[in-house]
Amino acid sequence: MHSDHPIRRCFVASFLILVASQTAFADQSLLKAHCVKCHSGDKPKAGFDIKSLGGETNKGNHELWTSSIDYVKSGEMPPAKNSRLSESERQRLIRFFEANIRQYERKASARKQRTPRRLNNRELINSVADVLLLKDVGTHQPMANLLGDSLQDGFDTSGATLGLSEYHLEQYINSVRMVVDATILSGPKPVSRRYKISSDGIFMPRRDQNTQQRDLTRRNADSIDFLDTRRRAYFGKFKNVPETGIYRINMRAMAVDRGVYDSDKTGIHDLDPIQLRIYLGDRIRNVDLPDDKPITIKLVEWLARGTRLEMTNPTDGLRLRGNGNFKFQYAIAGEYILETQPERYKKIAAAIKPTNRRVQQPSSWQHWRGYWQGPRPRLYNAEIEGPLFESWPPERQVALLGESPTLKNVAAILQPIAQRAWRRNVDESELAPIVRLVNSRAELLRESVGDKQSDDFGKSVEIEALKEGLVAILVSPSFLLINPNDAEPADVFATKLSFFLGSTIPDAKLRNAARRGELDSFDSVRAEIKRRFKTDDCKEFLGKFPYSWLQLDRINFMAPDPDRFRLYDRKRISEDMVAEVLHFFRYAIENNRPVTEMLTANYSFLNADLAKVYGVDNVAQDSTLRKYTFADGRRGGILGMGAFLTLTADSLGTSPIHRAIYVMENLLGIHPTPPPADVKIEEPDVRQAKTIKEILAAHTADKTCAACHERIDPYGYAFENFGPMGEWRDTYPAATSIGKSGKAAAHNRKQTGIPVDASSKFLTGASYKDIVEFRKLMQTNANRDRFVRCFITKLLTYANGEQPDNYTEVEKIVAKSAEHDYQIIETIAAIVDSPLFRDQ
Amino acid sequence: MNSTRRKFLQGVGGALALPLLESTALAKSDVAPLRFLVVGNPLGMHPEHFFPKDLGREFQISPTLKSLDWLKDRISILSHTDHGMVNGHGREVSFLNGILPESSAAYAEKNLSIDQLISRHTAGRVRFSAVNAAVEHGIRMSWNANGVEIKPFTDPQKLFDHLFLNLTTEQKDRRRKLLERNGSILDAVSGQLSSLRNKSSSDDRNRLDHYETSVRQLEGSFADRKLWIDRVKPKFDISEHFADFDVTIENRYNAIFDMIAYSFQTDLTRVATVAFPNELNYTDVDGVNRSYHGCTHNGRREDLVSELVAIESFQIQQLSRCLKKLDSVKEPNSNGTLLDNTVVLFGSGMGYGGTHSNRNLPIMVAGGGFKHMGRVDTRNSSGKNMPLCNLFVSVLQRFGIERDKFNTSTGVFDFHA
Repeated sequence: MHSDHPIRRCFVASFLILVASQTAFADQSLLKAHCVKCHSGDKPKAGFDIKSLGGETNKGNHELWTSSIDYVKSGEMPPAKNSRLSESERQRLIRFFEANIRQYERKASARKQRTPRRLNNRELINSVADVLLLKDVGTHQPMANLLGDSLQDGFDTSGATLGLSEYHLEQYINSVRMVVDATILSGPKPVSRRYKISSDGIFMPRRDQNTQQRDLTRRNADSIDFLDTRRRAYFGKFKNVPETGIYRINMRAMAVDRGVYDSDKTGIHDLDPIQLRIYLGDRIRNVDLPDDKPITIKLVEWLARGTRLEMTNPTDGLRLRGNGNFKFQYAIAGEYILETQPERYKKIAAAIKPTNRRVQQPSSWQHWRGYWQGPRPRLYNAEIEGPLFESWPPERQVALLGESPTLKNVAAILQPIAQRAWRRNVDESELAPIVRLVNSRAELLRESVGDKQSDDFGKSVEIEALKEGLVAILVSPSFLLINPNDAEPADVFATKLSFFLGSTIPDAKLRNAARRGELDSFDSVRAEIKRRFKTDDCKEFLGKFPYSWLQLDRINFMAPDPDRFRLYDRKRISEDMVAEVLHFFRYAIENNRPVTEMLTANYSFLNADLAKVYGVDNVAQDSTLRKYTFADGRRGGILGMGAFLTLTADSLGTSPIHRAIYVMENLLGIHPTPPPADVKIEEPDVRQAKTIKEILAAHTADKTCAACHERIDPYGYAFENFGPMGEWRDTYPAATSIGKSGKAAAHNRKQTGIPVDASSKFLTGASYKDIVEFRKLMQTNANRDRFVRCFITKLLTYANGEQPDNYTEVEKIVAKSAEHDYQIIETIAAIVDSPLFRDQ
Repeated sequence: MNSTRRKFLQGVGGALALPLLESTALAKSDVAPLRFLVVGNPLGMHPEHFFPKDLGREFQISPTLKSLDWLKDRISILSHTDHGMVNGHGREVSFLNGILPESSAAYAEKNLSIDQLISRHTAGRVRFSAVNAAVEHGIRMSWNANGVEIKPFTDPQKLFDHLFLNLTTEQKDRRRKLLERNGSILDAVSGQLSSLRNKSSSDDRNRLDHYETSVRQLEGSFADRKLWIDRVKPKFDISEHFADFDVTIENRYNAIFDMIAYSFQTDLTRVATVAFPNELNYTDVDGVNRSYHGCTHNGRREDLVSELVAIESFQIQQLSRCLKKLDSVKEPNSNGTLLDNTVVLFGSGMGYGGTHSNRNLPIMVAGGGFKHMGRVDTRNSSGKNMPLCNLFVSVLQRFGIERDKFNTSTGVFDFHA
């Protein structure tokens, strides 16, 4: 449009004049001398025209200003190869950007609206339990029908994504009612029964079938054995819990045949305990069983009516053969007999009759069904007693409604419950519509029975009617919406802090502390957070935040190819990888490690399966994660974790671009511009003998691509030594044409492939030859600050349900974190103490 | 936005005020009703195997579409349509609306999908305004006017209970009472809204509005359902699909499609969607060993491409089987079949997973009384792709919905061209 030089200059000049009103002339000449040449004209580099910064920062260009400052701070702009910007000039340019951004943000934050958002399902479930003073919402899976929450960049707290519809509302009413029904029990106390279950009363049907058309349970004279890990056993006399209440459950069980088969074949580590898993609806109890010596497992549990009681063998092994289905594992039994009792093997093999369909080798699994001696739980019998109650009405009910609730004081009964649920003080008058609801419900119930009312009946009517009030409280907008405009500032703060760390309503103690102004300073917030992390209250944060931040929900979106990476598929390595991340994060919190260490620490937490993937051999042969220090500088911290390396890879190959984008967006807080919509992306062709670098040569050859990819690609090439499941490789697998069965692959892989080149060069001029050097570059001041800033931004996004848009305030948190050597607890405290948390 | 919803609710109320017939369908009129069936997947189709090579009505059926050869003269296969999306996963959720959830705020009806829009039009006249089904997982295909996705039934047995299970008198009574109880709860809680409104600034009313709209719509739905409780549902049986020892995904899809065909036939519903999710294990299908998504990233290896084509052909086979069923039922009050009175749309919001392309969506239309055109290249004279929403406008008009624009449309796709 204006390729003609004089006109272009003219535009640039007018931009500079606008800026001149606020800053020294010297700053603009810096921009003019170092930026304008590339970022102007018809096709400005990377699609960024310096004119788009306008005269000053405003709503529309705020993001451009903050990304520009990152370019300059990191030294990526101007690019080292043709930069003449001195260090002092760079600092001056940074100050110029900062001043502009600050000026806009000061005005913008004054106008900032605080918007409500809906509770997500996790928060709803926790909150319902806490409002009703329960440990959990119940074993009858009352919340199973809730509509799932959509994620925004991995986060389930995003206000914009958490929709609300009539479907949601109806499910809330139904689910909450199911919880309340299993909590408040009206009427006479149910009679307790005792169930004696012998082994012939235990059944293990095929998967997906509830009927026992044919008994396929593996039975001994006095017990049953758990073979296939997918099959669940149940008690014929006690499939479902008949009445809500406490149940005493005793089961006699032990482990058998540990170590008979080689653990390389079974996939069960010799040092892992053999367990029995007991499902009480969605409540899970894993019990370690001693070898060959029966014990009595004793459980005492509050179970809701309708809860299914089931048992399984929870190992992640027994899937290494065939496609992973259990039947293929029987072949191991044959191999064991061949090795230990060759004579017996011969006899069995000789007795095999060919079927008319096809001849099966003696080694084939079909012949060894009856010989299985794999490690497994054995269950003898069980005794169940219940429902039992420590008193009547049950304690939990008394705690909630009082000793003898009546309709004379509905408002007084409901008031403390509403205050918990709505996270604020509630006036009795506000409860008037709900009191009316309770009364009219009582009326209806009385009418339906007519005159035959006894005293007991009257009482239970009152209790039944009160339940309706509880449901109403828990589907009210004040409960379902986290609404910063619905309460006093102190209550809003207590609510935010409680949902941030615990994903639930604040307890009275926290609300009171906030009301008394005891959480108004950085130091008091730090003390409170420290205290909370020592309790169980932060479980949700410790699990959900790192999971969302690192988008671990995507880990199997494109899982490594199950044929090529059998271990990953057959041993569910993705679960170990996720556990590694969570363990690592928990360790950082519990030991108050510096935030910066998370990126490039020289340690992580491994078990035997992860050690196999990472090529580490001196770890204990079990599933427990233990701290491991890497001496080679290649792994440790997030950058070396299988979870990150797998979720950014394709199933057969790796993509340096995917990894680069992931590192930039999730670890360094850089958001590269997406490619133009009409760009034609070549479909990868694994049949050709080209390295990814050669294929991506187009990125540097084509000028439009190069402008961005010169910046992006160096963040990804360093990981090329890590294959699709995060395993180390020195060479790419040789290009092969793999036959239908995929069998040729194994043979061809032995050929030498092309050596991996994991070197690259950043725009800053810094270059690396491999991952070890790359990791060192990630520890420069600029990159360290980027990581800390990104971590803070992600925490704020999780806490606020939206991304922070105030650069200046985020920088203040970064500075505060730096004052405390980036210790993670102090960093979190600085976030909570920031206006970005308090005033949002 | 609000006024449309209100009109819609009034519309429902008006229809319900008609004398109630003790039949399965409310409006047994002499005009054959029109139905809408959408079948979709999240990963597109391998283009070389999906699109027939030659244009026009005289085309050779393509490998993936082979099972539809019998219908060859009565389908339209549209190439070069799109929603103008950049490449990558996650945009396929715009298949039926052309809008991503994150940019839906700019539209009065958010990212309302075309199936939901049509189901609004048919609501009240049939027991279920729409039936959404998939196996195990949904693919985020249907969206309501609040920008909330409609979750499909993912278990055929539950879908069966929903569609065909008749309640006992006692159950009906209990259900009616429950609807009334839930209605009273809504009354008690919606009062809180006005005081919240007073406390809030204009900006955040938006999400309070969602709450209020939800309350109103749920009230409408309760009223609607109360009227349907006493009407008998048609009798149906799907047990044949579950007779085998191992129930395959083919069994489950057969069951789903049979239920939908029968629901159309008995006018239980007039809108249905069926999805083939990415997460499903397709190894029941002959020649498939890998994950669906893994097969799309085949690096052009022939063996992997053929696995992908096997999965895609499987999807078309299920659809073809359903269409045959629809075509075997004569539609009363018309001289065509049920298929002639059903607009069938197959496609995806993704072009082809292997390239992450969201251009050139695989689109196939059948039935519905359209004058079908065989293989069509929808590009205009300057070579630009056609917005898929243009096709949606012609579908809406076919349903008598008076719109000449739908989201990103630039015109109407003309079946008679």
